[in-house]
Amino acid sequence: MTDNHQVPFGSGMFQGQAKFVDYAHMNQQEVQVNTLDEPVMDTLLRDINMILYKLSYVIIPRMKETQGRKLRNCKRLDQIKIGDLWGPLLLSLLLAMTLGINSNQSSDTIFGTIFIIMWGGSAVITVNAKLLGGQVSFFQSVCVLGYCVFPINVAAVLITFLQSYLGFFLRLIIVGAAFLWSTFSSLSFMSSMMNEEKKVISVYPIFLFYMFLSWFCIFI
Amino acid sequence: MEFFQEEEEEHPEQKGCCAFLTVQYYQPYFNVSEDDVIDRIKASFLPFRKDFHERVAGNPDLWGPLWISATIIFLITAVANINQMNFEGQTTYSVDYVPQSAALLYCISFGTPVILTIVMKILGSDIRFFHTVCLYGYSMSILMPITILCVLRNSYVQWCLVGYGMISSSSFLIMGMRKILGDLEQAKRYIIVGIVLAMQFSLYLLYKLVFFKVIEKNSTE
Repeated sequence: MTDNHQVPFGSGMFQGQAKFVDYAHMNQQEVQVNTLDEPVMDTLLRDINMILYKLSYVIIPRMKETQGRKLRNCKRLDQIKIGDLWGPLLLSLLLAMTLGINSNQSSDTIFGTIFIIMWGGSAVITVNAKLLGGQVSFFQSVCVLGYCVFPINVAAVLITFLQSYLGFFLRLIIVGAAFLWSTFSSLSFMSSMMNEEKKVISVYPIFLFYMFLSWFCIFI
Repeated sequence: MEFFQEEEEEHPEQKGCCAFLTVQYYQPYFNVSEDDVIDRIKASFLPFRKDFHERVAGNPDLWGPLWISATIIFLITAVANINQMNFEGQTTYSVDYVPQSAALLYCISFGTPVILTIVMKILGSDIRFFHTVCLYGYSMSILMPITILCVLRNSYVQWCLVGYGMISSSSFLIMGMRKILGDLEQAKRYIIVGIVLAMQFSLYLLYKLVFFKVIEKNSTE
């Protein structure tokens, strides 16, 4: 019993308190204590692996709903069933920075706009789906919508680096492809959560959301 | 007091002063399918027919106002930036259109019903708030084809489109409120009609002047 009570801040009084907490919340404390002691690199690598694993589902959109469920119920190591928000955060920051760097005018406006559209948009779409009778969990849905921005990110980075070589129509094609990819990825996860009869009006906001984000990429 | 009683009848399970802050409060207003929405949008293009009111009668929805305005924000951003492109395809990208159009559209489509409801309650009329919100939301739908057509960079064409939009949406709104207006006295009717027309006029004027300044070929930008 005492081996598990490895508290990093070791004053006697603190340890006494930690012991008390451990009795009450044994399982959670075990998990936390295990990860508190490991090197930072391990934690980072584990989180990065988790993000990459989920991204692999985005890259290859699977239209079968059973496979789509795997992403939402992803249980790896000590993960809990809630969707994580690290991936969407990183992706949104990357997108906002990529679009902001290349703009002629103030990059803060673009950064702020993209950030708000992405997070506010995900929240509103999830509430919309809930109100229409879908069986969505708020954070899972925000997580999925965030991860599926990845193809648009790829398009934005591509356009940034190859700016001088790409004419307007080529950009349109790249962005169009990214938009379709994003939409199909997210549909494969989201459609199982939506209400059957109201699918079109649940899905249309997602379509609008990705269209909005993709449109910014054309004009960098 | 009547306002609260009326709303409580519609939402018997929600009690208390802050019920409108919960998500469940708005559940009854999303009972539409895609066919309903498309029918309502089509009906809003024809202001002098009674289709819209028959369809909406007992079932005002909030999906329409919310997402029609969102679509229009996207279209304004897209089209206004296309208009800004000079002829070599280079553009000074303006992302300010997003917050500006969002503020304009959502203030008009949600703010005006609030003002109208307050004024109507003071004047003693029986108005249902969500019905008015629904009406206003769908009246915006004429802006969708107008915005797409504003890709044409001709000043006269744009002003004609804007003028048509204003006349169409104003008549749609006034026809929609005809029954409520009929219960009021003559003088009070003019107040309400005046408010409606003033808001529509300012919406369309701002829409044209802020988002669609026409750039001449010879000017430098």
